[in-house]
Amino acid sequence: MVMKSSVEEDEGGWGLGIPEKMRNNADWVDITQDFKGACKELKLGELLHDKLFGLFEAMSAIEMMDPKMDAGMIGNQVNRKVLNFEQAVKDEAIRVKDLSLPELIGIVDTCFCCLITWLEGHSLAQTVFTCLYVHNPELILDPALKAFALGILKVCDIAREKVNKAAVFEEEDFQAMTYGFKMANNVTDLRVTGMLKDVEDELQRKVKSTRSRQGEQRDPEVELDHQQCLALFSRIKFTRLLLTALISFTKKETSAVSEAQKLMSQAADLLPAIHSTIQYGIQSQNDTTKGDHPIMMGFEPLVNQRLLPPTFPRYAKIIKREEMVSYFSKLIERIKTVCEVINTTNLHSILDFFCEFSEQSPCVLSRSLLQTTFLIDNKKVFGTHLMQDMIKDALRYFVSPPVLSPKCSLYNNHQAKDYIDSFVTHCSRPFCSLIQIHGHNRARQRDKLGHILEEFATLQDEAEKVDAALHGLLMKLEPQRQHLACLGTWVLYHNLRIMIHYLLSGFELELYSMHEYYYIYWYLSEFLYAWLMSTLSRADSSQMAEERIVEEQQQKGRSSKKSKKKKKARPLGKEITMSQAYQNMCAGMYKTMIALDMDGKVRKPQFELDSEQVRYEHRFAPFNSVVTPPPVHYIQFKEMSDLKKYNPPPRSADLYTAASKHFQQAKLILENVSSPDAEVNRILKVAKPNIVVMKLLAGGHKKETKALPEFDFSAHKYFPIVKII
Amino acid sequence: MAADNEENGTEMQIEPEESAYSLARHKLEHLLNKSMRIRMTDGRTLVGLFLCTDRDCNVILGSAQEFLKSTDSFSQAEPRVLGLAMIPGHHVVSIQVESENLQSGTHGL
Repeated sequence: MVMKSSVEEDEGGWGLGIPEKMRNNADWVDITQDFKGACKELKLGELLHDKLFGLFEAMSAIEMMDPKMDAGMIGNQVNRKVLNFEQAVKDEAIRVKDLSLPELIGIVDTCFCCLITWLEGHSLAQTVFTCLYVHNPELILDPALKAFALGILKVCDIAREKVNKAAVFEEEDFQAMTYGFKMANNVTDLRVTGMLKDVEDELQRKVKSTRSRQGEQRDPEVELDHQQCLALFSRIKFTRLLLTALISFTKKETSAVSEAQKLMSQAADLLPAIHSTIQYGIQSQNDTTKGDHPIMMGFEPLVNQRLLPPTFPRYAKIIKREEMVSYFSKLIERIKTVCEVINTTNLHSILDFFCEFSEQSPCVLSRSLLQTTFLIDNKKVFGTHLMQDMIKDALRYFVSPPVLSPKCSLYNNHQAKDYIDSFVTHCSRPFCSLIQIHGHNRARQRDKLGHILEEFATLQDEAEKVDAALHGLLMKLEPQRQHLACLGTWVLYHNLRIMIHYLLSGFELELYSMHEYYYIYWYLSEFLYAWLMSTLSRADSSQMAEERIVEEQQQKGRSSKKSKKKKKARPLGKEITMSQAYQNMCAGMYKTMIALDMDGKVRKPQFELDSEQVRYEHRFAPFNSVVTPPPVHYIQFKEMSDLKKYNPPPRSADLYTAASKHFQQAKLILENVSSPDAEVNRILKVAKPNIVVMKLLAGGHKKETKALPEFDFSAHKYFPIVKII
Repeated sequence: MAADNEENGTEMQIEPEESAYSLARHKLEHLLNKSMRIRMTDGRTLVGLFLCTDRDCNVILGSAQEFLKSTDSFSQAEPRVLGLAMIPGHHVVSIQVESENLQSGTHGL
């Protein structure tokens, strides 16, 4: 066989880029023709490969010259020279002084857009660092631009630190890599805010001097100057406020959080002025319709192309300037909401706060700020309360266990104290993790909730043992009192909440197929909500027992003044009511699904490789680690939900009627809620139409139609409005 | 068994093709896990270990590094690490291997 050795062919061009180790034995021989010829001999579809390398490995190769995968390709195709900051300054492609106001406004706005795009999960290299000015603010001579460049770097740096510390992000949320760029670390925060303030004052002076005076003939040029100065002033001030707010989040005192809230409000006030002056900024020069990146002075989208990882070059589509202001205003709203958390005191309300906040699918920065505000570096809640004390308070609030009541003999008993203290200490980690889970994005939360059930199962076990030990102690000291299932009830309550949340989130994430709905809703209504309600009522009666004892002791103390208080609202009353409503909604949906199935209106898959049992077991797999409540296995479920045990077995019309009654019941319960919140109204929005639809279906409406019903989850994440077409 | 097959008429016809096929296979197999340098249509060069190919000359290189064309003045110094990369056959301009690998290869053949 002859190998054509055409080494010299274009060796000159080749060698340059090859590093030493490659060049050492760089006796490269061209085998192109030979190789291609040999390849042609291979059969169609045949792969020639090493034993250790198969099709599976081949799948993960990136495809060169595919614009979707090959990040290096783009840089090679543009016809302009990609310059870095120093080169661009040297070539006078960009200026570092004497920038006009429109140029400054345009650069600032583009930077804002880059910042937002970064916060939405793109890499710094493709967003903020496409701005050449931030590569080295030292080189900038224009004071406004220099202060701004430093400011934006500081904002990025603090945001990055916050997000890293909170650790509630995954790769789809956030790219923390800085690619070796300096984040203005050699300048202090204070210095940067000071510089921004100086620029701001200077601009304000200009704004004032160009302001129109009464009776004066307005020179349009002065007016324009005035507007542009005002535009830049608002932007610089906004940057400073944003930076200062982020800095105050790094402080340990809770007062700093309210300070941040104030700063955010001030920043929000600037947004209209920023919005109305967007058009003053310079726009990108080139034609972007051909898919090319927009080119702005001071920006080079491809400058960092070589820094990108060899994975898919996720195109960082920088958001438009028009969307910038509305994003900022939403961000500010979210951060202001985060600041509210310090006003909640009880662990349960904090948990609810986290759940509610997460429901809006907030951005990673606000989620992280919430986490770091909740648990400050010193591992204390809001920097002041010990997690252990928070848990004790939560226990008192929920079940009023005798051991935590000053009126009980256990309160000062050393052994009892040891028991409860060690239990509470063990609680602290799982509860911190639970709160952290609520900081993750919605999709990741579900997975993590499934895992944390294991920890709560261990906690449950311990709680029951501590309960038993405390009960034993109490029987010796005060035989008339009990300490049964107090801590256990509390842990069970959280366990059930997690399980319910886990199942419900599957609807929100659109994981279930229509034919699966019936067993999910069955599990919720017949099982989890039933358990939750009995747990809540046990907690309630435990509270009442404790109150009675306290009352008796008080009456003994004072001359038996009949303190016939009016029936006080039970602390858990609202939650019990809501659980009833949820249970009815689930039961209604369960019966609806069974009835629709009977009428042949649920499309079922042709089970080949799996079966309903496989799916069922997969759906409830995380519950297997839980001891109380015991998981319901598929066989049990089938037995429990068998309709044949009724005589006569219900027909679909009966089930529609029953479903309608459940929805009706839910509606009644919710309409009696005093001070209904948004959630109550959302459920009502589903319950009401479903009552009517179920009645129609029970009456045989469109019984013959083959069209499948539609489930509209737009009114509520977990419960659909059933629509018959 | 082999002798029996050769008596079969159809097998006889295929036989020369078969040997060209096995020769080609042998040749390519010998290159597996060797360093390979591939120049692509856009002028970039990839250096990596030859792992896999097929009839259309699509090549997969392992631990591949990307080198820009030498005319590009400033960013050419550092190669970019790509890892596992597949080069579609129609984008392959030239293929080179290190001569020492080749020599031992020819000896083997």
